[in-house]
Amino acid sequence: MTVVQTQDVGEGSPLLEVDDLRVEFDTYGGSVKAVRGVSFSVAAGKTLAIVGESGCGKSVTVQSLMGLTPMPPGRITSGRARLRGVDILGRKEIDGREIRGREIGMIFQDPMTSLNPTMTIGRQIAETLEVHRGWSRKRALDRAVELLDMVRIPEATQRANQYPFEFSGGMLQRAMIAMAIACEPAILIADEPTTALDVTIQAQVLDLLSDLQRDSGTAIILITHDLGVVARMADDVVVMYAGQVAERGSVEDVFYRSAHPYMLGLRAAMPSSTSDRAHRLLPIEGSPPDLFSPPTGCAYAARCPHAMRICSTRDPAPSDLGNGHLARCWLHSENAPRVEALDYGAGRPASGLTSGLPA
Amino acid sequence: MWRYTIKRLIQGVVTVWFIATATFLAMHAVPGDPMSGDRAVTPEIRKNLEAKYGLDKPLAQQYVIYLGNLARGDFGISFTQQNREVNDIIREHFPVSATLGILAIVFASLGGILWGALTALYRNKLPDILIMFFVILGISVPSFVFAALGQLALVKLNDFLGFSLLPVAGWGTVSHMLVPSLVLGLGTMAYLTRLMRSSMLEIINSDYLRTAKAKGLPATRIFTRHQLRNAILPVVTVLGPSIAGITTGSFVVESVFAIPGLGRYFVQAVQQLDYTVIMGTTVFFGSFLVLMVILVDLLYGFIDPRVRLE
Amino acid sequence: MVSSNPQTEPGLDDFAPLAVEQRRQQLSRPSLSYWQDAWIRLKANRRAIVSLYIVIALLLFTLLGPLVWRVDPSAQDLDQVSRAPGAERMVTLAAPYRPWNGETVLPGSRDLRLAYPANTQAVRMIWDPVPGASAYRIYRDIVPALAGEPLGLPIAQTLTGTETRYEDRLDLRAETYFYTVVALDAAGAEMGSRQALSVTPVAVITVAEARSRGLAPPSEPLNVGDKVRFKLHPLGTDYLGRDMLARLMHGARVSLFIGIVAPLLFVSFGVAYGSMAGFLGGRVDQIMMRFADFVIALPFLLFMILFKIAFGIGPGQSGILPMIVALVMLSWPGTARLVRGQILQVREEGYVSAARLLGARTNYLVMRHMIPNTLGVILVTLTFAVPSAIFTEAFLSFIGMGVAPPTPSWGGMSNEGIKSMLIHPHELLFPAILISITVLAFNLLGDGLRDALDAKMRSRE
Repeated sequence: MTVVQTQDVGEGSPLLEVDDLRVEFDTYGGSVKAVRGVSFSVAAGKTLAIVGESGCGKSVTVQSLMGLTPMPPGRITSGRARLRGVDILGRKEIDGREIRGREIGMIFQDPMTSLNPTMTIGRQIAETLEVHRGWSRKRALDRAVELLDMVRIPEATQRANQYPFEFSGGMLQRAMIAMAIACEPAILIADEPTTALDVTIQAQVLDLLSDLQRDSGTAIILITHDLGVVARMADDVVVMYAGQVAERGSVEDVFYRSAHPYMLGLRAAMPSSTSDRAHRLLPIEGSPPDLFSPPTGCAYAARCPHAMRICSTRDPAPSDLGNGHLARCWLHSENAPRVEALDYGAGRPASGLTSGLPA
Repeated sequence: MWRYTIKRLIQGVVTVWFIATATFLAMHAVPGDPMSGDRAVTPEIRKNLEAKYGLDKPLAQQYVIYLGNLARGDFGISFTQQNREVNDIIREHFPVSATLGILAIVFASLGGILWGALTALYRNKLPDILIMFFVILGISVPSFVFAALGQLALVKLNDFLGFSLLPVAGWGTVSHMLVPSLVLGLGTMAYLTRLMRSSMLEIINSDYLRTAKAKGLPATRIFTRHQLRNAILPVVTVLGPSIAGITTGSFVVESVFAIPGLGRYFVQAVQQLDYTVIMGTTVFFGSFLVLMVILVDLLYGFIDPRVRLE
Repeated sequence: MVSSNPQTEPGLDDFAPLAVEQRRQQLSRPSLSYWQDAWIRLKANRRAIVSLYIVIALLLFTLLGPLVWRVDPSAQDLDQVSRAPGAERMVTLAAPYRPWNGETVLPGSRDLRLAYPANTQAVRMIWDPVPGASAYRIYRDIVPALAGEPLGLPIAQTLTGTETRYEDRLDLRAETYFYTVVALDAAGAEMGSRQALSVTPVAVITVAEARSRGLAPPSEPLNVGDKVRFKLHPLGTDYLGRDMLARLMHGARVSLFIGIVAPLLFVSFGVAYGSMAGFLGGRVDQIMMRFADFVIALPFLLFMILFKIAFGIGPGQSGILPMIVALVMLSWPGTARLVRGQILQVREEGYVSAARLLGARTNYLVMRHMIPNTLGVILVTLTFAVPSAIFTEAFLSFIGMGVAPPTPSWGGMSNEGIKSMLIHPHELLFPAILISITVLAFNLLGDGLRDALDAKMRSRE
């Protein structure tokens, strides 16, 4: 397979740029280093997926961008985030425009608990417009009905007057999306938007997000642990492990030319529709390190089948593999032994994931 | 909602019946059964009692007569005072207690919501620590101590001023009601403050407050529209039991401040062992409390859409 | 991109494969059992630990206190009635009382004035005659009268308008009294003329009295004018001259006994009832819980009073037992409900099903899952039940329906103290403070226990 043209994350001026973000949480047992130097960027109209297992710092990363991490106990110890070149970290507005809700919209994992139980859906959507656009109650409510219609909620007029408990999970998530896009934000952050939903509903919600993006040109940051969702939605991928970016690049690079043993492990653990019956899912042995005291070397060393001596003593720096494809692994060092699975120079696609990827 | 109301009312009637039965049995279990024995009762009262309660008849029949009287809203006649009906006593003294109680519950709930919201806003800062200190005092100090200290403070205040700013005891004007209702509401207020605080803090960590923040709403709007409104709901649910607490608290406060309410009358009846008055007022208070709990539940249904629409 | 590792270039040797043993991670947090963890959390809660010490101190106060302070709580010291703590104990020896014939030894010639130095034997006063007075009425008060308010107790009235002296011998103590003399006209109505005087009598006692009360060793000679010391009452005395400290210690026994025994009993009963309903399930469960619902619906304090009356207190009985029985009868359903709910909930929990699937035996399930998950709740309920039982005892004793006098209890002492609260606040304050501290300590301890035992809180580290 030939190299596919990808969005070059390093070039031009991306919409959002996050550089070396570090977040810690103070607890009575010590401080948890939840995010340890995360960098990525998102271009307008594109979708960036952040993947990783539970507790790897995905949600904390985006929530600290939005100022949603409770501080204390949370603490942003370093890093920068620039929206159209303007620093937004720790700020509420840029150039007189609110960031939250207006520049960046956000939807959450559990729609059942993420909406105010004692306020009608319509009012909750209209509220954003009243606050950010200064619209009248009536006008905002009318727009809320339109938005509900836009996210394909039937009988939107009646639905707008109902309370969250009268909605199903999938409909609530759509209402959440309507709320998040009400002010036409430049970026929509979706924090595991489909995890709490049924599989059939998941597809509908994802389609809705794709359609909205096509129509409005919103950039989407999609947080998920579902590689299938990544393959279906993303242009670029950030793979997080133990609060760090293990690998990042275009979806083709990361999936077909995986450069980090963790990504290889994830792929081996993933079921595939084309694989033969003999294909066995291989779990990654062990569990992620305790972020109370992250290991001195590579965080993945303890689980890595290719671990070397240096891996347990020194943390690897990200290696640039070209085309914006980065991997944080010692195997890309000159002196490292060649590992066949990472030998993507021949352009051989790894087994399993070929199908389902947008070519 | 209608079905719910009717269901609650039927439950309430059954509960009142249970209270009435338990009262009846308790009073007939008194050693020596003063209801049918002759203990310091004038022949005239004796005759009234016999006519009213059918004391010469077997227990089961007495029970039926008693329930029949109650069903007609007749709470009986006094055991120690001639020709005094419990209904008269209630009519005369209950309005006083009700006034005092309403003032106390208004004071307690407004105070509880205000202080609770303040503590949550200033969590772990000086206002929170100060208010919670007083809350712990309010929960740990018995109501009669508050009543006594309240009266003592009034005496000292009047002494200090050299004239009587607020009356130390008695009933009649608004100035009589002020301090007793404050004292009566104090314990409940402390309890409600604590509840309000924890409910506020729970909501601070809730997903929907995070959503509100992510929508970029101003802090005041998040506080009033999302946090406060939802935090008050649990406070409303405990108003019913709180009314019970205030009712029994009124026994003490009315006694200390010499307020001619039903609570003080009840305490006097208890001390004089006026069995029929105790019986009548207990059933009255019991029914009143059951009714209050039902009313508060219905009110809650009105406030919370999740209950209202089910 | 910044390298997070600005060290020397790695050598070839560094890229040798890592041995498997070297890969093993070290757990940074030790694994703790449920109770170990709870104990650590409790210890970290300073308020709870202070409360625990207070509870221990209270127990020592009531159990060991009477061994140290061996004063009989019912013995009356009639020389020192309603004495505040730290009040002057020195008393001057005086000659026995002799009648007064109207002579004065003190200077002064106007208004109401003392004729003799005032002492607790007698206050002798004289005043200026008022023209037209046919008699005089003498008032005594313990607070200065405000304008328009009563003058206090009318203690005497002279027979004629010419009699302008009065000797007060009525239950005098070493406190300040406010006397007012009002002239009466021929019809016996009060005239406008008033003369006022405030007096603080000196405490005196005769030699014979001092001897009979054993205030001085028999060998020591006693003379008029000498000073002797009254018996020590560290926290003062009550209105019958009984030692407050001894009464508080014995009252603590009653209050804490009721406060601890009654919750123990009704919590055990509630646990038995609730777990039976929970385990049996079905119709039995429904009937049992419906009954519990009815008992919960009874207005608690009203029925406490009612039951107390129903049980009655015979002569010579303290009424502690009826109170405990009434408390148990009315309080068990709360615990029963809670325990039943817990058992039903734990039984359905995923981890119990998982343990069962893995072949865990009933014993293991009960020991490992049921008990830790219900015991915590029961313990917390028990801790919170103590202050409410103490409150109930105090409330009932306060309205005269509690422990029968002369058995001391904190609530009963408060009830007696409140009557003279304005003059002798210590009689109310000491028992009230003890009740408050006890309730406070148990409440804070309960809070701490709940936080320590709540497994949900642990995930929020």
